[in-house]
Amino acid sequence: MPTLTIDNQQVTVPDGTTVLEAAEQLGIVIPHFCYHKALGAVGACRMCAVTVVEGTFKGLKMSCLVKAEEGMVVTTDDQQSVEFRARVSEWLMLNHPHDCPVCDEGGECQLQEMTIASGHGLRRYTGKKRTYNNQQLGPFIAQEMNRCIQCYRCVRTYKDYCGGKDFGVMGSRNRVFFGRFKDGTLESDFSGNIVDACPTGVFTDKTYRFKSRYWDLQEAPSICPHCSLGCSTVPGGRYGELQRVRSSVNEKVNGFFICDRGRFGSSYVNHPERPRQATRGSWKLTVDEALQQLDVKARELINQHGPESVLLLGSNRASLETNWLLQRWAEEIGCRAPLLSAHLPRHQAAQVAAFDLADRLCSLEKVRQSDLVVAIGADPLAEAPMLGVALRQAVRSGGKVKVFDPRPVELPCDFEKQTVSPTELLDLLDGTSVESKQLVDLLRGAERPVLVAGGLMLGAGGMLRLKKIAAAASNDQRNCLVHPLLGGANSFGAALLSLPEQDDLLTRLESERIKMLVCVETDPLLEAPDNERFAKALSLLEELVVLDYLPTPLSVHANLFIPTTAPVESEGTFINNEGRQQLFAPVIKPRLPISVTGEGNHPPREFIDVAPGSDPIPSWQLFQQLLGEATDLPTLREKMKTAVPRLIDFETLQPGGVSCRVAHVDERCIYTDEIPAAPEESLQLVVTPARYGSDLLSRYSAKLQPRFTEACVQLHPQDAAARGLQDGAKVVLDTVEGPFNLTLKCNDKMAIGCALVENGPKFQQLVPGGKLSFCKVHAGMSHG
Amino acid sequence: MPLLRDIKGFFPPFWVTFRNMFRKPVTVQYPEQMPELPERYRARLVLTRDPDGEERCVACHLCSGACPVDCISMQAAEAEDGRRYASWFRINFARCIFCGLCTEACPTLAIQVTSDFEISKRDPLKLVYEKDDLLVDHCGHNDEYSFYRQAGIGVAAPRGTNPSESAPVDVKDLLP
Ligand code: SF4
Ligand code: SF4
Ligand code: SF4
Ligand code: FES
Repeated sequence: MPTLTIDNQQVTVPDGTTVLEAAEQLGIVIPHFCYHKALGAVGACRMCAVTVVEGTFKGLKMSCLVKAEEGMVVTTDDQQSVEFRARVSEWLMLNHPHDCPVCDEGGECQLQEMTIASGHGLRRYTGKKRTYNNQQLGPFIAQEMNRCIQCYRCVRTYKDYCGGKDFGVMGSRNRVFFGRFKDGTLESDFSGNIVDACPTGVFTDKTYRFKSRYWDLQEAPSICPHCSLGCSTVPGGRYGELQRVRSSVNEKVNGFFICDRGRFGSSYVNHPERPRQATRGSWKLTVDEALQQLDVKARELINQHGPESVLLLGSNRASLETNWLLQRWAEEIGCRAPLLSAHLPRHQAAQVAAFDLADRLCSLEKVRQSDLVVAIGADPLAEAPMLGVALRQAVRSGGKVKVFDPRPVELPCDFEKQTVSPTELLDLLDGTSVESKQLVDLLRGAERPVLVAGGLMLGAGGMLRLKKIAAAASNDQRNCLVHPLLGGANSFGAALLSLPEQDDLLTRLESERIKMLVCVETDPLLEAPDNERFAKALSLLEELVVLDYLPTPLSVHANLFIPTTAPVESEGTFINNEGRQQLFAPVIKPRLPISVTGEGNHPPREFIDVAPGSDPIPSWQLFQQLLGEATDLPTLREKMKTAVPRLIDFETLQPGGVSCRVAHVDERCIYTDEIPAAPEESLQLVVTPARYGSDLLSRYSAKLQPRFTEACVQLHPQDAAARGLQDGAKVVLDTVEGPFNLTLKCNDKMAIGCALVENGPKFQQLVPGGKLSFCKVHAGMSHG
Repeated sequence: MPLLRDIKGFFPPFWVTFRNMFRKPVTVQYPEQMPELPERYRARLVLTRDPDGEERCVACHLCSGACPVDCISMQAAEAEDGRRYASWFRINFARCIFCGLCTEACPTLAIQVTSDFEISKRDPLKLVYEKDDLLVDHCGHNDEYSFYRQAGIGVAAPRGTNPSESAPVDVKDLLP
């Protein structure tokens, strides 16, 4: 722990800290370009020069490269350093184009800031500027290579940190170029990070091109709603439109970066068909009238037909506050406790994570630091993309990654893959098989082992088995930690609020005399298994009420529709997959974007008090109104904390902070997994989320459309051959939920004896996370 | 002595009036007669064009950022050739205080002041000027500057062909 003096202030820092980082602790910001906390230092830009007065090597040094030493004396504001840095700025500007006014980075550009800070205003160099030709890098990233200052941050982010392969540095001397070998779409699922990493305007967000200036954007710390990891983001909007998302820092969760699904999947907020008006059939209502009708109807039905006649359905898209108030309202009107998920197996898996595994959960940071990660039934890039990047960091610092999964899992790092079918996965976790014992031994041999539990593939039963493995692999010195992957942004929260026992939506709809269903920010037609049966059950209802902010198919069927706000338009809480209770702040107000009201031209020329389309209010406020207790959010949260003691005291949390994990409990779930017998000649059905468009939010995001994949069923070539089928053939997939016509794709990286389908925008009928089931694949009818 | 003071104070105003009766009047008979304004008088703003006749404004938001009363708003868009322009541009002259800070901020010399001060209207909405009302078809005070000829990103001239630039490098060239 050396103590050093920087600009006459003393600071003690851990061994290995650089002078630049030590100065940061004192609040002294040394200008820099190529140093980045997540990427480290390479000494490429020479901007961080300081003078070492006392130390092993004296003189002008690059502070990002010099380690702090005991008794070191450093000055950052002496004439020599200041002048040197000013000259560096000047030479970095030699070739820089004169185009800040048309550059999207303008206003949030590190080069602009450093140039101004170092006082370089007038150009002295009169030679010619070097120029480059740009590349077309696909739908997400725009390139303007003339602006580059050769700091290498992009390639360190894209390749080294995120594991992308198709981007790099080319050329020599002053011709170094950062891009792909040829024009083409950047393939990495984390390509957007180079926008945040590049300190100049070389790489900018193409989907946000020329939309706004940084200083005009409304921004606030938020939580990515696209998967259960809950990465920290800063969405930005203007004129009623959500325009972009950039990553924010949470060292316990995402670190510094986010995935492309999170970054470019935000335009669902501006969906042209987004419902913004309360309606009953074709009648327009005010929100107050709609709430009144909802309340009256629910109470009336309960009076007439008893508490079973009204069913409330919460979701993992709705905030913790909303789900909790939904439960309160159910108590108030006297109906049975709401279901907080339309998909029972997924919900049960989340409950196992929220109750049984709660004392073993670990953050993504722990995954990054692990020396052995074993992922069981998990496809990180499909279920929780940033986990893939976290695994890469584990590998980069010497750890090993092993994956057991039936799918053709890809990761941005080296890993060992064991392709096993879903039933084999359960055998692997039974604790008695040879493989199971080997797995425990493997985990025992590691210092910081982490098990990644794919909740969709394992289900509650598998998760409980995995818990036993984790227990067997732990000893007095260290625990074997678990990092579960769940269905949605607030799956953990919904699971934590519900009783360990919950029954199935469909069974209840079909078996009981339910007259009214209230769906809060969920669409069981898309999210529940067997949507055909669900659609049938719907027709038996007397009243279907939908509260949502997406134009889901269900909202079309609704008798009563009440618009709510998207997460970026309201405050709320999500609990992520490892139980971290994270708050998000409102970014924009709900309203029709000016680009819509002005039809692309200038905004309408009229004076109005209320912006059009600003009816939606946050769903938690709707339920507060129904409960007749319109308190402010802190009061509500205080009540929640009292009612649910596991929650962290909300006052200690703030949006954008690292946040804390909820307390664990002794309650246990009792779920079992029966492995059904396989019918003859059948294949195990594996439904996996598509990387883009499986969660409803990204499905409704126009920006992500270029990444949507075509529907197909995948078989191992061996299975295909056994059925006399060829790659590309039209086949019929026969499942318990009916037959589907699909194209066949052979994939030798997947498990034998399985049929794999992706749930995504092009194929929505089967949802991932169901119970083990079997299917058949045979040649389709040839038409004509 | 108040009486003496009053008598003394009685005559000078008459004298002043009398003296000025023979001066040339400075009052301008506006609106019958137009006043002569200094060349750099700051009144209504316009958006000028560059010497090639293209819109100068690149919708960079610097003027709206500089404006102390927030009366400028706009939306940028991209034309097919990569040119950034304002798809709409609005100045609310009911709010504008004619400080000219926008013109100082403008990096393209697009927004310029004119001496047209006659913009009072009964309906404040008529003081909200849209791009069509603002755009003129001359260069204003400066008939030489063209931003895209300096910017070097290949809009007005192909990349690397402006006078201050060398031709694009061959990145696959390994020669020293
Ligand atoms: S493209 Fe950006 S990040 Fe990459 S080297 Fe150039 S300035 Fe740095
Ligand atoms: S990993 Fe998940 S939470 Fe993180 S940015 Fe991607 S989709 Fe969002
Ligand atoms: S500062 Fe000039 S170029 Fe920029 S938006 Fe205003 S008028 Fe247009
Ligand atoms: S930050 Fe130290 S050389 Fe770039």
